[in-house]
Amino acid sequence: MQALRRGEWVLLAALAGEIALFALIAEQFLTLGNFFEVMRLSVELGLLAAAMTPIIITGGIDLSIGAMLGLSAVVFGAASRDWQLPAVAAAALALAVGGAGGALNALLIARVGIPPLIVTLGSLSLFRGLAEGLTQGAVNYSGYSPRFLQLGQGYQWGVVPAQLPLFVLVFAAYVVLLHQSAIGRQLYAIGFTAAGSRYAGVPVARRVGLLYFLSGLVASLAAIVYVAHLGQARADAGAGYELDAITAVVLGGASVFGGRGSLWGTLLGLFAITVLQNGLHLAALPSELVGLLTATLLVTTIAMGASASARRDAARATAGFGVLSLEDEVSLRNTHVAVICAAIVAGALIVSGTNVWLVRSLERTGGPAASAAARPAGGPIVVAMMPKAKGDPYFVSCRAGAEEAARELGVELIWDGPTSLDAAKQNELVENWITRKVNVIAVAVENRAAISSVLRKARERGIKVLTWDADAEANARDYFVNQATAEGIANTLTDEAARLLGGKGDFAIITGALSAANQNEWIAFIRKRLAARYPDLKLATIRPSDDDRDKAFAETQTILRVNPTVKLMMAISAPAVPGSAEAVRQAGRTDVKVIGLSLPNINKPYVHGGVVQTVVLWNTRDLGYLTIHAGALLANGQLGASATTLQAGRLGNIEVRASEIILGPPLMFTKANIDNFDF
Amino acid sequence: MNYRRELSVALAIVVLGVVLALARPAFFSAENLNDLFLANMAVLVCAVGATLVILVGEIDIAVGSTFAFCSVAAGVVATSGLPLPVAALTACVAGVVVGAVDGALVAFAGIPSIVVTLAAMIGVRDALRWATQGAWIENLPASFQWLGLTQGSYPMAMAALLLVLIVSATWLMSETAAGRAVYATGSNRRAATLVGLDPALVVFAVFAIAGLLAGLGALINAARFNQIPSNGGIGLEMKAIAAVVVGGTAISGGRGTMLGTVLGVVLLGAIGPALTFMGVSAYWERALHGAIILTAVAIDALRARRAVPTVTAARAAAVSA
Repeated sequence: MQALRRGEWVLLAALAGEIALFALIAEQFLTLGNFFEVMRLSVELGLLAAAMTPIIITGGIDLSIGAMLGLSAVVFGAASRDWQLPAVAAAALALAVGGAGGALNALLIARVGIPPLIVTLGSLSLFRGLAEGLTQGAVNYSGYSPRFLQLGQGYQWGVVPAQLPLFVLVFAAYVVLLHQSAIGRQLYAIGFTAAGSRYAGVPVARRVGLLYFLSGLVASLAAIVYVAHLGQARADAGAGYELDAITAVVLGGASVFGGRGSLWGTLLGLFAITVLQNGLHLAALPSELVGLLTATLLVTTIAMGASASARRDAARATAGFGVLSLEDEVSLRNTHVAVICAAIVAGALIVSGTNVWLVRSLERTGGPAASAAARPAGGPIVVAMMPKAKGDPYFVSCRAGAEEAARELGVELIWDGPTSLDAAKQNELVENWITRKVNVIAVAVENRAAISSVLRKARERGIKVLTWDADAEANARDYFVNQATAEGIANTLTDEAARLLGGKGDFAIITGALSAANQNEWIAFIRKRLAARYPDLKLATIRPSDDDRDKAFAETQTILRVNPTVKLMMAISAPAVPGSAEAVRQAGRTDVKVIGLSLPNINKPYVHGGVVQTVVLWNTRDLGYLTIHAGALLANGQLGASATTLQAGRLGNIEVRASEIILGPPLMFTKANIDNFDF
Repeated sequence: MNYRRELSVALAIVVLGVVLALARPAFFSAENLNDLFLANMAVLVCAVGATLVILVGEIDIAVGSTFAFCSVAAGVVATSGLPLPVAALTACVAGVVVGAVDGALVAFAGIPSIVVTLAAMIGVRDALRWATQGAWIENLPASFQWLGLTQGSYPMAMAALLLVLIVSATWLMSETAAGRAVYATGSNRRAATLVGLDPALVVFAVFAIAGLLAGLGALINAARFNQIPSNGGIGLEMKAIAAVVVGGTAISGGRGTMLGTVLGVVLLGAIGPALTFMGVSAYWERALHGAIILTAVAIDALRARRAVPTVTAARAAAVSA
């Protein structure tokens, strides 16, 4: 298999290129500590990719592994918190769920004979839906014993991430299964031609079934590592991981038509992706580049490595003589030897490179380039600020304020975050910023339990930590820049609904994703306010919009039909308000009012048109502005633990109350004032 | 041609329809059907493209990203003051460009389509996110909504457009040389070459057409609103592929019909709202959705097993698919 080797070499060269590039442009990239951090971040994905590899080699696919990770995580969380089972028993239960889910896939694919794509597309919905149903979207299982969390966050022998040996073990087992056993040969044969293998006496159904069963099992193992790593278990855990895993496998040279690929290729593909992400974060380049560069990497490596052979294989497969010859087998082994040697060489290079880097950075201290490498006192303060999601217009307007303040104060601002809501990505970025040794980290927290341990780590390393928009645990940060409390928002919205409805009637809520933490907290406070103040105001239904305008539109249409008594729509996700408003407008239901939490610009037409009565929000620009001012004061030691006010540029005196910096009361945008705001 | 799979899907739709008609007759109100049609027409248009791609034995998972790119492109042109037809054309051309690039990489460079479209899916989405910074296209000219028509006449026009699209696609696939070339390429590429076809050209053309349809879908969907979000179409590729495959098209290529795809879109598009009408809590809806699809395909597969004389052959064929 000439092409396999070529593909892996190309990928290895790409990986080496990445490492060399980031060693030059990214701070603290080429250190042993960072090397192991990359390893730690690769474990969950690596487990899934390892399980995916033989499946793709047999010409199948398993789209349900990310969802199974979510379901197992939730089961594990419920078992250890609600049913008080010890960690081992909870883990066994989670594995049993994974095994059962895998067995269901195996049964439908191998026994009943439905194409894997359809089966796992269906079980993706089933598993994720069960996780959502079990938690009602809202429950987030956290509060595990430190001993358990050690598995995901601690080190063995001081440097090796605790979960790494587990990954090595599973990976080795898969290598034996796929590359060293007779079963492995049969899997390749099945990938080339399932019918042919059957005639040759291979128990096709049993072999294929085994793989899907194992992949369910491995997904729940990854779930346990995930829970230990992030300290939380939510219904949306592992969303989208299946695509990342497939990317790693495909990048590693596996053919989705089956018959070709190897675990070593997958491993290289995995590292090519994780190193890319890590390096870009350390170099403070925007996260969007990850997608663009991954895409480029995919196309170029596969094109260079496998294009000719793909055609040859396709021709061979269709012509019906897709057989592994003896040469293939020999060169396969050679490939592995070569790759292992290369990996060892690369490892040695990294270690020696670390030393070179250390010496070089020592030399550079004090020089003109020093501000970039090791920052002496007096250089600009570096504030790394993270939104929950970068593409969200809400956070884009926060960024404008942050940049304004950074210009004012001469602060170097690094603005980066996940491209969509993702607690795991947030942790990863903070880890990278700790490695990069920024002065201040300011995070809009997506998941309190998940981020707190890594923020505490940042504080231990002398980095000042702020939270903004949403808080972490109190001892994980110095200050929380509080734009408005969840209770304040919920009360404002509920009071406004009651005012518009005259104190009685039905209303419906369109939320973001069913498992969105902020929204669920607001809903809880809304219910509390209803019970306490407005007994005649009834919450008829809650529907998800997944932060998608078109979905909010469709859901509102259905609500208006199914619940004709609903006279007010309360949309509590920024894109949902215009979506809901458009649905009400098109239905011609002038008797239905719309309020919600959103941005002024996208709602202007509806507020002026009289469809949306009130949009509640704080001044997002000021929130970003205030956060940078607080960060600068903190870094300069001008904001002590007992401060009661601070000076924030054009905002003047800002109140500080019990380690919370208060922005002020929420804004209410109505017809009268909405044109004064532009974000 | 064997319409067994299409019959199964049609049967599932009838069962769903009867249950709804008895329990929730309001589901069949004209307004609700009109809403459901408008909500799913973009999925249908994209699914027609996905059917072609799957028929030639390839896959396109960049549909959602292409869709977002095309709607933003149309919006940018429309807000710049150029006339509406230019904006409409831009959406389609943008789709063709993305589709043609993907198609060229698949057909002429020989890169597997899953790799190319995976790359396009991630790359286009992130590039768009970067370029727009998440901002929506606002201040569209008033005529953009409903494309110069009215709220009342727009669904009629779209129904006519879709009817023409489906009928002509069905005719093209079953009655013309081009359609036979698609089936031949998907069934056996080597045999297709031997009978004088150029499979690479067929694959390229199919991707370009799928891109065009994604652009068209983006346009007619965007015209239902007066703003365009920059992150539209998330998950659209899966909706389209699921509809195609549930509609009986073989994922390995060479077998399937447009009628099946239409039925697939109807079934999958109706289940969600049907569950809401039946009063299922949003938190359990997805689990039930998945269970229904799995049950439906399992029953269909079991029926097929009884119909086909050699069980093992069917199973082996399914595994190789």
